[in-house]
Amino acid sequence: MISHMRRLLSLSTAMVMASTAIAAAEPSAELIAAAKAEGTLTTIALPHDWCGYGGVIEGFKAKYGLTVNELNPDAGSGDEIEAIKANKDNKGDQAPDVIDVGLSFGPSAKAEGLIQPYKVATWDSIPDTAKDADGYWYGDYYGVMAFEVNKDLVKESPKDWADLLKPEYANMVALAGDPRTANQAISGVFAAGLSGAGGDVAKSGEAGLAFFKELNAKGNFVPVIGKSAPLAQGTTPIILRWDYNALSDRDTLAGNPPVDVVIPASGVVAGVYVQAISAYAPHPNAAKLWMEYLYSDEGQLGWLKGYCHPIRFNDLAKNNKIPKELLDKLPPAAAYEKAVFPTLEQQEAYKEVITKGWDTVVGANVQ
Amino acid sequence: MKTQKIGAWLAIFFGASYFIVPLIATFEFSLRMRRGEYSFDAYRSVFSDVQFRESFSYSIVMAILTIIFGVLLVVPTAYWVRLRLPQMRPVVEFITLMPLVIPAIVIVFGYLRIYNSSSYIPFTGSARGTDALLMFSFMTLSLPYMYRSVDTAMRTIDVGTLTEAAQSLGASWPTIMFKCIFPNVMSGVLSGAFITFAIVIGEFTMPSLLNRPAFGPYLQLIGANRAYEPPALAVIAFAITWGCMVLLQLVSRFSKSAPSKP
Amino acid sequence: MSANRAIDLKKTAIDWLGITPFLLFAVMFLIAPTLYLVTGAFLNPAGEFTFENIGGLFTDKILASYWISIKISLASSIGGALIGFWLAWAVVLGGLPSWIRSSLLTFSGVASNFAGVPLAFAFLATLGRTGLVTMLLRDWFGINLYASGFNLLSFIGLTLTYMYFQIPLMVLIITPALDGLKKEWREAAEILGATNTQYWTKVALPILFPSILGTTLLLFANAFGAIATAYSLTGSTFNIVPIQLYAQIRGDVLHNPNLGYALALGMIVITGISNLIYIWLRMRAERWQK
Repeated sequence: MISHMRRLLSLSTAMVMASTAIAAAEPSAELIAAAKAEGTLTTIALPHDWCGYGGVIEGFKAKYGLTVNELNPDAGSGDEIEAIKANKDNKGDQAPDVIDVGLSFGPSAKAEGLIQPYKVATWDSIPDTAKDADGYWYGDYYGVMAFEVNKDLVKESPKDWADLLKPEYANMVALAGDPRTANQAISGVFAAGLSGAGGDVAKSGEAGLAFFKELNAKGNFVPVIGKSAPLAQGTTPIILRWDYNALSDRDTLAGNPPVDVVIPASGVVAGVYVQAISAYAPHPNAAKLWMEYLYSDEGQLGWLKGYCHPIRFNDLAKNNKIPKELLDKLPPAAAYEKAVFPTLEQQEAYKEVITKGWDTVVGANVQ
Repeated sequence: MKTQKIGAWLAIFFGASYFIVPLIATFEFSLRMRRGEYSFDAYRSVFSDVQFRESFSYSIVMAILTIIFGVLLVVPTAYWVRLRLPQMRPVVEFITLMPLVIPAIVIVFGYLRIYNSSSYIPFTGSARGTDALLMFSFMTLSLPYMYRSVDTAMRTIDVGTLTEAAQSLGASWPTIMFKCIFPNVMSGVLSGAFITFAIVIGEFTMPSLLNRPAFGPYLQLIGANRAYEPPALAVIAFAITWGCMVLLQLVSRFSKSAPSKP
Repeated sequence: MSANRAIDLKKTAIDWLGITPFLLFAVMFLIAPTLYLVTGAFLNPAGEFTFENIGGLFTDKILASYWISIKISLASSIGGALIGFWLAWAVVLGGLPSWIRSSLLTFSGVASNFAGVPLAFAFLATLGRTGLVTMLLRDWFGINLYASGFNLLSFIGLTLTYMYFQIPLMVLIITPALDGLKKEWREAAEILGATNTQYWTKVALPILFPSILGTTLLLFANAFGAIATAYSLTGSTFNIVPIQLYAQIRGDVLHNPNLGYALALGMIVITGISNLIYIWLRMRAERWQK
């Protein structure tokens, strides 16, 4: 009898303890009810293979029973901003509720009055450098620039930026976008420059352009945009892209061809993306619930499954919330220690240099 | 005319090689999904998706509607301009060239600003309304090709004489339109219909931003980060679209008697 | 006489009424949405009126991009028109079996819109460095395509790729015109002793010239506005206007939509000028016609 009671007591204590631990991250009942009343969330620019968004969206749908209306997964950060602007008066399904954009778009969207502030329950565990003090935008995940290598066509993977200039990589190296417009491609050029300039951020823009000029002159650079299909087909066997994209590509290709993902020894650049809620969101409560979900442990780990480093990574690691299998699938942590997180001003500076200089310095080989 | 025949066969030979070889290369790559051997894995992966069938059927329905309304708009207009308002021809032709150079994304953002749920003409306020808006956007996109096709066909028939003859026999306007003009420009209408069909099936920007479940956005969603499925999808879309066009051609052959061919 | 005048006015009114549906459609679904573009070209991001976007069009880089756009569009439209005409002639007047005609026309229907990423990939998989034809030529015939100077990622390569949708467009649109060439004219010319060449140069081509010209213009505008194929194939090498435009309107970084609108306005102006050239040429060709 008494042992039964004691067992019950300890069980209920354990439950209370567990529930308080979860309660800290659990959104309030009113928010959930308000979101369910709205019934739908409209997202934009979330490809399912990017940071495991497919799994994250399913998890959100399963947990709260809302429907998720996914707009244009092909959208870039600029498109997302334009979509908010174009839909200011539109409460239909075409208006996005939430956006996921590059770091530099956060402050500009705030200045244009396109987003509304909201601080999630786990706000304090987001590093200060990655969020807006007033809560308008907040970093969600980051990755570092890596080399994605098709092992069928490349015998020995390059280990660092300087290796890419070697003759055995002729007609092999490609960027994952247009370096005059796409954030990922510009970061690739910057990372090459960071390595060449020995870590001096201010000189990296110029150094990056010089690197690609040499790469092009040696005939190693392929101007085609690197994606999964050209990688497998052989046109772009080495692609410079975010590690999470390279890793998820490796999984999708499942060994056909086998893919090696290499974090360069020097010039490790981290790219941060930020979340924000549209000021004209047709479903603001669903949007807030989505944010709560993304910044809960479950959401953050969902991104980790997609090989992105969630912004609360250090916090989760400290509290041993990350399952070991997940950690094992990522590249070794040592590679990330050297990661450089350029500030907003630094980003503006090197973007200016690279986008303006690409055509003249690297040059178009018009035949 | 022996040399003529040789010239013709030569044209077909070069044409066929140029057009078919890239398709063969795409097809060959799509078969490589399983390592080391050729297989239809990529195709199996595509066909097993329910959304494939749903989005494709949606696009086919939209295509047929676009063709019907497009023809109803363009043929009378081209006829009218030829007959009664030749001075408007340059203006009309300029307008029909515009959709080629104005980015689709600008047009659709324009729609969202003008026809959103809070405006006087709230197309986007409902799903059917948005479908109608999408159809109008497809008509806009196919306008250049439909107009040019029909206009070229009309050029070769003498609309003035045809109309006068019909009128002198006591025909009313609808009769002239549907019994005299339409059958004679049928080949132009058919060409325009083919091009419109292909455009609607493949279009991505418009349905994506208007958030309708068409085939274009589906292709994008599936193909975005895959290697072998996109080429397989391209081949499948090509084959099915071709099949639909063959059907279109058969239908038109049976329903209207073609003008007497020399 | 007032009765006549009344009838005249009524006729004019009906004339304009007949074109109203089209104008209404054009205004609602083409012109009104793009007014935003036209006005945006004259605004700056803060919303004030300015000519600086138009001025911005006259920088070296952008003028060069317009020029290369025009070059590629001219090359692919003229090439497409010539080869398309050859193919259309072959199936209409070349004495071939009729199943070839219907196959070509239906195939052209599909191919006319086969552009963008799938087309770029198809050509990369065929004539790229690791493409099927490149490898076949090397393995079976010992011909090293790339060593001889060919490169798919070049002006020629891009034009070759563009022709994949330009040629079918020409075939589809010029076939009805070829259908309309009356057999009687051919017979009359032969009776008068004309050779094949004379028939073509003096009778058939002059009749077809306006249609050929009009379709070439369509092909030109079609190539001028095309972006997806160039972007997927030669991406950062070729600086054509639509790529610049998209970079400004939707790019991650440059993001000056007003400059993008000015670029689009420039494209509209160039298309308008080509249209005027076409009309002038057509008027000259139609002089002898009714």
